[in-house]
Amino acid sequence: MPDAYLFDAVRTPRGRGKENGSLYTVRPIDLLAASLRALRDRNNLPTEQVDDVVIGCVTQTGDQGGCIARFAALEAGYHVDAPGVTENRFCGSGLQAVNTAAAMVASGYFDMVVAGGVESMSRVKMGADGGAIWDPATQWNVGSVPQGISADLLATLNGISRRDVDTFAVESQRRAATAMEHHRFDRSVVAFRDINGQVILDKDEYPRPDTTVEKLGELQPSFAMMGRQFGLDTLTKERYPEVDRINHIHHAGNSSGIVDGAAAVLVASKEKGVALGLKPRARIRAVSLCGTDAVLMLAGPMPASRKALAKAKMNVGDIDLFEVNEAFAAVPLAYMKELGVPHEKVNVNGGAIALGHPLGATGAMLLGTVLDALEDRNLTTGLVTLCIGGGMGIATIIERV
Amino acid sequence: MTITNETTSNGMAALAFDDATGVATITLKMEGRANKINDDFGATMQGAWAWAKARPNLRGVILASGHKDFCVGADIDRLYRERDAATMMARLRELNGLFRAIETGGVPVVAALTGSALGGGYELALACHRRIALDEARVQVGLPEVSLGVMPGAGGTQRLPRMVGIQTALEHIAQGLMVRAPKAVKNGMVDELAATPEELHAKAVAWIHANKGAKQPWDRNAPIPGPQPGSAEARQIIMAACAMLRKKTSGVFPGPELAISSVQEGLTLQFDRALEVESRYFTRLATSDQAKDMIRTLWYHRTSAEKHEGLPKIEDPRIAKVGILGAGMMGAGLAFVSAQAGYQVVLKDVKDEQLAKARAHCEEQAKAAKHLGADGQKQILDRIRYTIAIDDLDGCDLIIEAVYENLELKHMVTKEAEPKLAKGGVWASNTSAIPIGDLATVSLAAQNFIGLHFFSPVEKMQLVEVITTAQTSDETLARALAYTRAIKKLPIVVGDGYGFYTTRVFSAYILEGAQLVAEGHDPVVIEWAAKKFGMVVPPLQVFDEVTLTLGVKGFKQGRHYGKSLDLPGVALVETMVEAHGRAGKAAGKGFYEYGAEGRTLWPGLAALTTGKPEHTGVEVIGRRLLTLQALEAARCVAEGIVKTPRDAEVGAIFGVGFAPNTGGPLSYIDRRGLVAFVAECDSFAKTCGARYAPPQLLRDMAAQGKTFFEKV
Repeated sequence: MPDAYLFDAVRTPRGRGKENGSLYTVRPIDLLAASLRALRDRNNLPTEQVDDVVIGCVTQTGDQGGCIARFAALEAGYHVDAPGVTENRFCGSGLQAVNTAAAMVASGYFDMVVAGGVESMSRVKMGADGGAIWDPATQWNVGSVPQGISADLLATLNGISRRDVDTFAVESQRRAATAMEHHRFDRSVVAFRDINGQVILDKDEYPRPDTTVEKLGELQPSFAMMGRQFGLDTLTKERYPEVDRINHIHHAGNSSGIVDGAAAVLVASKEKGVALGLKPRARIRAVSLCGTDAVLMLAGPMPASRKALAKAKMNVGDIDLFEVNEAFAAVPLAYMKELGVPHEKVNVNGGAIALGHPLGATGAMLLGTVLDALEDRNLTTGLVTLCIGGGMGIATIIERV
Repeated sequence: MTITNETTSNGMAALAFDDATGVATITLKMEGRANKINDDFGATMQGAWAWAKARPNLRGVILASGHKDFCVGADIDRLYRERDAATMMARLRELNGLFRAIETGGVPVVAALTGSALGGGYELALACHRRIALDEARVQVGLPEVSLGVMPGAGGTQRLPRMVGIQTALEHIAQGLMVRAPKAVKNGMVDELAATPEELHAKAVAWIHANKGAKQPWDRNAPIPGPQPGSAEARQIIMAACAMLRKKTSGVFPGPELAISSVQEGLTLQFDRALEVESRYFTRLATSDQAKDMIRTLWYHRTSAEKHEGLPKIEDPRIAKVGILGAGMMGAGLAFVSAQAGYQVVLKDVKDEQLAKARAHCEEQAKAAKHLGADGQKQILDRIRYTIAIDDLDGCDLIIEAVYENLELKHMVTKEAEPKLAKGGVWASNTSAIPIGDLATVSLAAQNFIGLHFFSPVEKMQLVEVITTAQTSDETLARALAYTRAIKKLPIVVGDGYGFYTTRVFSAYILEGAQLVAEGHDPVVIEWAAKKFGMVVPPLQVFDEVTLTLGVKGFKQGRHYGKSLDLPGVALVETMVEAHGRAGKAAGKGFYEYGAEGRTLWPGLAALTTGKPEHTGVEVIGRRLLTLQALEAARCVAEGIVKTPRDAEVGAIFGVGFAPNTGGPLSYIDRRGLVAFVAECDSFAKTCGARYAPPQLLRDMAAQGKTFFEKV
């Protein structure tokens, strides 16, 4: 079985995912096309040799409907021979795209695949695509709560306090600010320009580096009222009868930011890359998926990581750097606790709390982030993992070459 | 009642506040003859608005004009010169900020349209809460920006669809339609009409009093009229608009295309951010080569030609009675437009039945001019006398000869009718090719002899090609020009020589179309390539319209005048006429077949080709068609036929239907670059024939780094 290699990773800056965000005026297809173009131009890609363009995108409706992967590739001027497919594995979509690409290459069926992700959360609102998740029947038969309730439940089950999550959030901000100050993202981030070549956004605009634990302490938890007064907490009782009272600790300041952005990653066999004169940056050691309880929902990264480590015949201690998506601060905190990973190795350049989480793109972005960080620090192995709606988890282990 | 009167510090707006009504009136009267959107406008409106807002007990504002028109839009000079996207964006931001301040200021604002509101002027009116117009046909509103290669840039693509619905807005924006006030009330572009300025003012005050705290629909989340953005119906409308536009323009003009994008993309966005999307598209267009080339020709050169700049003028042209010889399509048309302009007209032919046809034509034309009313129509028709009697031409101040293209015939009628002219009267020939000097050999007064080459149908075609010989006096030219102005024509003035200017360029075009067919290029691709490069009508279609018979006659005439016509394309046209009886559209068969399903290219063309071309396709065909015309234009400049590059551009676009997206044949050469153009011609000359050899003028210009027009 051939190995799949990563040759490059690019992304747009992340814009605030609101009407006042810099990228709100940009169509998601243009966000994605910008990344696809940058990937092509930086690597002189003969796009007629791209076997597929696999793109993660969660809310596939409106501006993001109709297989955005295909039309973004055409918009970017890719050869018509380069097709496109759009995948939705909720928050894992971006990494799913990379893993799909890796699997295609590793299978030997394909030689070179462009993976990536896109989400304009300012233009296409979360949930705008509807779905059975909202049906009462699903509630009765499967069970489902808003993610914030799950996050607070996860924290409660793991004994994570408000102080813990707020402290983690401030550290995420600090690390992101330091990383930006030291140009840690420059290798991946490509300034987004309008049709006149004017820069619309050249760096992530969500971070609030001046945040303190004290300031965060003033914020009201977002899901307390909903959970307690409107009975949403009770919906978890069926599954977690032992939890007497969910400790509501998450709020906008210690949860992932709503942002817009896109990313693209070049995955190919070594032979293909070498034939094109490209230098591989990392090898994909293992990929994994797992399912966990749909109500707790956010506990997937742990089993997913264990599964990937087992497949790669590695131990937790063999991983130099981790990217654990900061959907909510409790997720990486629970992860570190359960797997016994020191914070020094996790999200070294901050995470989605500071930088934002453009749903379908985040996984692909995190892969670029960990690759850049490994190179910066001259380390070797990285693991990227995300929690996923519906109770899934996804992980990818890479090794620099 | 106390009314306080002031002016803005720059004196460009009168400010009046009426204590009794609480209404402030801002009357814009900017320097020059019209209100324009420029730096002065910004400063004036900022000042005026601040003044209005500072009135105690202000209940509303009326925005009025002290000029004939309300506001005629952007300052073209500034638009034309600007190439920097950042500067353009900054200006738009400022202008949009001003308009937003006006519409979100908390008091009702009424636009008093006592005259036309066009382009940026109408966008200003759209930023008011209500538009009341004088009920007069001269008052027009609209967003004609696409006609100059740009699109609305001060909120037009955002406010209009939100106000009148997607369909109506797209129609008007993408086609650049201007609408008379009475019609504009029907489609919602104007809210209300008033018979007099006083009534307009009273209605404005009443509306202000009845609409305290007025907000725009887009600032109170009101649904837009018709299908909602993002709906399936809206998608269909937009798809249809895209398709219709492409059908009409073949993708030649980014202006209307980006305008449609702006409408569609902006409608789902928060209003202020939607304006950013519009600004980017506008900036893209306004800083583009195409906009510069189109503005130069369609605005500057056209206006200059309209004003007869650089041409002799005469105070009293002394033309009251106009004689027209030959009552064919052209003669009849000339009779009508002359009568419409107030001239006494004598239309003379040798056949009564021809005159009867001409009379029917004029009556039909009059009837179509509904706005004149029955009386007005009758007055025009009464000015025309249809006659076969030569003596009826007695005392004509101007006689226009429009008989068949035949030197002997023209000589004969000249000899017969010229003596009937009033003393010193002007003789004009409407020939399309025969040198005026050759016609004037029989004239009694060559200094009064001139060429007036009109285009058919003369009621519609604006251009007239005026041809002077070495003998033609300036006074004759000035008088002829005065006549062309009276009948509302756009003149170019060229020197004498076979085919003058426009006929040479036009012939080069259609002949190359036939030549391409003969070389074996796919006729379907030839036609598309011409359109794709901007030609208004494709060559084979237009050849059919002017008839192939005319072409064959032209070849004969051309050979007489020393034209080299040893080309397979010429032979092809001759064969089509002589061996296949395919005379053109009128005959029902030419390059096309004309059936119930419309026109389709004649399959028999394939059998008349000389082989298969080595290089073909849209790009090479389009290049060849434009290059050959541009070369002919350059030759006319080199030979002194064309006296000013302005006329080369205006003549080609308005007379030949040359690609307006290029700004004209000389602009096309400039834009390609002289060096590149000459090299391309040399290469074509090698592969396609000597007719592509560039004149020395172009080689010299290339060597000296010169261009026809100043670079912007």
